[in-house]
This record gives sequence, C-alpha cells and structure tokens, in this order.
Amino acid sequence: MKITFPYMGSTIVYYKIFELLGHQVIEPPRPSQHTINLGVKYSPEFACFPYKVILGSYIEALELGADTIVTSGGNGPCRAGYYNEVHRRTLQSLGYEVNIIVFNSIFEDIGQFWRNLWLLKGKNSWAKLAGVLFTVYRLAHAVDHLQTIVEQKRAYELKRGSFTKVFEEITERFHKEAKTLADVDRIYREGLAMLTAVPRKDVPEAQKLRIGIVGEIFVVMESSINMNIAEVMGNLGCEVTRSMCISKWVDHNLPNFFGKSNSKIIKASRQYMEIEIGGHENENVGSIIEYKYLGFDGIIHLMPFACLPELVTQSITPQISRDHNIPVLTLALDEQSGIANNLTRLEAFVELLRSKKLHKEIA
Amino acid sequence: MKAFLGVDVGSVSTNIVALGPEGKVLHQQYIRTNGQPLECIKKGLTQLKIGNPGLEIIGVGTTGSGRQLAGIVLGADIVKNEITAHASAVIQNYPDVRTIFEIGGQDSKVILLRDQMVTDFAMNTVCAAGTGSFLDHQAERLKIPIEQFGDLALSSTENIRIAGRCTVFAESDMIAKQQYGFSKADIIKGLCEALIRNYLTNLCRGKVLEPPYVFQGGVAANKGIVAALEKELQHEVIIPQYFNVMGAIGAALLAEDYIKKTGFQTRFAGFNTADLQFVPKTFNCNGCPNVCEVIQVDLNGRPIARWGDKCGKWANAIVSEPCPDREALDVREQQKVLA
Repeated sequence: MKITFPYMGSTIVYYKIFELLGHQVIEPPRPSQHTINLGVKYSPEFACFPYKVILGSYIEALELGADTIVTSGGNGPCRAGYYNEVHRRTLQSLGYEVNIIVFNSIFEDIGQFWRNLWLLKGKNSWAKLAGVLFTVYRLAHAVDHLQTIVEQKRAYELKRGSFTKVFEEITERFHKEAKTLADVDRIYREGLAMLTAVPRKDVPEAQKLRIGIVGEIFVVMESSINMNIAEVMGNLGCEVTRSMCISKWVDHNLPNFFGKSNSKIIKASRQYMEIEIGGHENENVGSIIEYKYLGFDGIIHLMPFACLPELVTQSITPQISRDHNIPVLTLALDEQSGIANNLTRLEAFVELLRSKKLHKEIA
Repeated sequence: MKAFLGVDVGSVSTNIVALGPEGKVLHQQYIRTNGQPLECIKKGLTQLKIGNPGLEIIGVGTTGSGRQLAGIVLGADIVKNEITAHASAVIQNYPDVRTIFEIGGQDSKVILLRDQMVTDFAMNTVCAAGTGSFLDHQAERLKIPIEQFGDLALSSTENIRIAGRCTVFAESDMIAKQQYGFSKADIIKGLCEALIRNYLTNLCRGKVLEPPYVFQGGVAANKGIVAALEKELQHEVIIPQYFNVMGAIGAALLAEDYIKKTGFQTRFAGFNTADLQFVPKTFNCNGCPNVCEVIQVDLNGRPIARWGDKCGKWANAIVSEPCPDREALDVREQQKVLA
C-alpha cells in the first residue's frame, strides 16, 4: 500500500501520520502550473478550482507510484462532499488503479470509519495508533503556531525572505527528525528560538496593519494557488492571520469533548447566517466580525471562482463591512485569474487601509 | 521651471504629465501605447523636452499596468497602483467627490470615497465587455471612427436594447438589430447604454453610489457614454478638464507628496533616458514545474530589472548587480544639476 493524500497547507502533518505508522508514503509535489494544467484538462469546466488542483496532484502522485489515496469527505450542501467519488471515477477512466479511503465524520457511518481506521492501523497496536495520532495532533498545532508567527512577523523582517527561509528550515527538521512526541516538542521550542532570532525592524503600533484572511479552506490554506497571499501581504508590510489552518480544522472535526474553540465565532455569524450552508461559511462570517473586534484593519476574502458557499458570503460582506466598519476585499481565484490584476487590487487595498488608519490617528 | 513628472502606462494609452507648482498642468500627452510602452515613454520624454525648454524634473511617479517598467526606465521616485493615483488626482480638484467612475481601454474601476479617503473600490475581473475596448471593437465593425461615436449616439431618438454582457453576444445582437433595419446612430446609442448597464451591474453591484460623481478615463470623451451614465444614475456627472490623463496627474501628485515628505533628491534618470537602449525580454525559468515567465529589462546588455517569478529568485538577484551605465548616468545628471 503506497499512500498519498491531497496537497493542502502543511502537508507534513498528513505525511507524518502515515510515516509514523510505518506505511510507505508518496508525497505529492507542491501544486505547480503543471498540476493545475493536468487537473483542468481532466475536470469538468465548471468544477470548483480546488477540485481541479487536487485531481492534478493525485495524478502526479499516482505517476510517482502511489496506489492508495487517503482523504476526508465532506457533508452539507458544498460540492466538496462529491469530490472523492468524482475523482475516483475520473482516475479510473484515465486507467489508474487506485483505492480511495475516505474519512467521513465518525457520526455519519461509524462502521465505515472503523474499517478505515483498521486499514490505517495495519499491524500496529491500538496503543501505538493512539500515540501516533496524538503526536501528529501536537505536530499540527506546533507547525501552525510557528507559521502564524511567521505570517505576523514577516511584515517587519529586515531582509526580505528571511522568515520564509527559517520556516522552511524548521519544516525540514520536522520532516526529518520528528519521530516522537518529545522530538516534536523539542523542534518546536528550537523553532521558536530560531524565529525570535530573525532580525526585524521596530514599527510603532500606530503604523502596524493587521489583515485577516477568510474564505474557502483550500484557497486560504494552500499558498501555491492563492498567489502566496500571506507572503505577498507580508512584503507589503501587513501582519496576516488566516482563519483556516490544519489544527483548527482538526479541532473543528473532533467530537465535542472539550467545548468547541470556535463556538463564539459561530454565534457571531448567526445574525447574518441562520443556517448552515456548507463550506465554512459560518466560520468565515463570524471570523470577519471577530477580527474586527480583535483590532484588525481589513479582511481579505478568498474564494474559488463560482464557489457556491463563498458566493453567499460575498453577497453578505458589504452588509457586514458597513455594520462593523471594516473594509473587505473579495478575490476570486481560479486557473484563469491574472496575478498582475490581483496584485494591483491588493496594493490598492493596503493603501486604503493605511490612509484609513492615518486618518483615525489624526482625528 | 521645476516640475513633477507623472507617467501612466496603460494598455491602450501612455499618458505623460508635467505638473508645475500648485498642481498646474504644464504639459500633457496622451499617446496610444500600441503594445510598445518603452517607445511611448521615450517619445513622450523627447516631446516634453522639446516643448518645455528649461524644465527641471524634481520628482517622478509612475502608475498603470506598465508602472514597473516605466518606473525602472525613468528612475521613478514612486511607483503606485492606479486606484491610489486616480483617487489622488480627483481629490485635489474635487475634494467633495464621493464616487469616481473610471473607464479605460481594458479595465474599468469604481472608487468610493468619503472625507477625501478611499473607502472602497472595484475593478473589472472576468471580462472586458464594460470597457473602452468593447466600443473600439464595435466601432471597427460599424466602420465609424471612435471619435464620432458620441455625437452619433446623441443624434438618435430611438431606444434599442443591445445585450452587453459579453462582446461576442453583443456583436451577434447588434447584427440582428442591423438586420431589423435600425440606423447606425440607434445602434451606437444602444451600445453605449449596454456598456454602462454592464459597468454598473458588474462593478458597482452592492455598492452605494453617492454624488458628486466624477467620470474619467479615455471613454469619458464619448458624449454618448456620458449621456447613458447620467440617464442611468439620474444625476449629473462631472468630467474633469484632464479626464484622460488623471492617472498621470495622480502619479505626479504622489511623487510631489513623497519628495516633499522625505526631502529626498529625485532619482529621475534624466531626459537622456530617451537615447538609451532598454531591451525588455522574457524567458521561462525551468527551476521548478511552475515554469514562470520572467520579464527582464536590459540596459546596454546588462539586466537592470526582473519580475514575474513566483519565488523571487530572479527578481531578488538583481539587487546585487548594480548597473554601471545607470550609475554613470546618475553622476552626469547630478553634475548637470550642480552646474
């Protein structure tokens, strides 16, 4: 069994689960223009952009020798719930022999969930499985926390690219050295120290710009297809916080033992969105409001072109923006989007936020 | 005389403005880009020099889709996006403005302001049906010079509705209307209304448009469009005196602001720039499967700027390779100023 997985965000987390359980893992390459071309070629034109990119990266991984795909399912009205079935059929018709293991919510089909878990467990003991899952859970939190620091402090780095370089080093070390919980904790602590040591300039509080990025999970998390937005905004001098990362997603899907961390966000969204409409719409709407009250200056809302749940958010954002006095810029991304045009928009948006902040200072 | 230079390199036109003291426009040029921005900038500089002997440039700003290239060639002090540039130009002349409509060759924008501050903006995303290219294309089909479009549209009394969502559908709809026997004037009026309808529904969707309205960009020269916009808004719109070079004026104002704030000397490369051989070229980087198309500008065979690479390895590499020719040029210019 040679396992691969969809490429989204910090893929080291998925990689480690399988590696630590002793499976053979084929890591898909980071999505590139080639991946997108492959995905677009074999997808229906009106399929979502994430669907196309994931298909492309499956094909690349299968070409590298993978024969099993482990992925998550989806529920609710969003099309993501159909991805794996359509992917399966497309890949079959392309002549690939592939087994797709789909982890749906534990409550949906508990029998299926256990069968999947059994497969994943392999010859390991249940105690080992639990240990690995906990280690990886901590790894997800560690990586996400370090990345959050990078995306916030990058705005002030003295030498462009230094934070990115250090973060790549840390990820590489996680990749190579993290075998146990103790390793994860050690590398995390060392990573924190490495990031603190990156030289930065002092910027007065009044000149800092904080931007929240909300939107569809794939385009928010996967930098290779969102124009590397966190880095672009960092280079424009903005602190960036993304509403989606892998640890949040895991917490969100865990059974409600400890009380959901995002219940406040969901509650804030109810004023605008009374029902669940699929995707992460309640989180997105709620996050915009939460960010405002955390003192953020603006919101960038990312959506795949023609994404249904995000179109709903897009139509509500002008209202939220007015009610809470926070500027929101929506960008639709897909294989057709021109980078130059979007960069102009981002640059103009930062100018808008800057002049707004300056104005507030004077007044 | 001392002046600030503003250059707006757009897809359709390259505009050059020299701004004197108190924002007075000393010189303005509207040159069709025709896909040759470098030639346009050189031509413009030469014209500027010939037309204004004794002009001393003390600050340069560039904007427009070709702003980076122009910035490098001219030695700009400030390189800014179009939204900021257009807004600054309008605010200076019409401080109360609340809504700016800008329709250019290949893009259109709407900018909302309050208290002389941009609060929201939108640019066209998916298609060019709401822009000047749409009219240009149809004018060519009807064999009517675009300059006569406006007057013809105003002469029509009929109301005909042409689908304006997409240029291809508009064209087939227009042909159908021609077959029914409508006159060219009626069809042109219909086209103007279609463009405005498309512009307002696509770009201004969900935005609260409040007067005073300012309308600018090359398309504002078209009286038919202005009439259609006023009809749709049920309100008068202001066309600034220099409506087609507002981006360049904005860039010059931003440069002035920057120079005054920082007290820096301008980095303007001098009028000699017109004689230098800038060669832009592109190549594909094969470092990773992204195969980015990298754009490089050479001056006398040495690269002085690169962009277009996703990872930045080409763009960042240029910093360590200063160009001796440019430095020599800077020294010459400084000596001239001192003399």
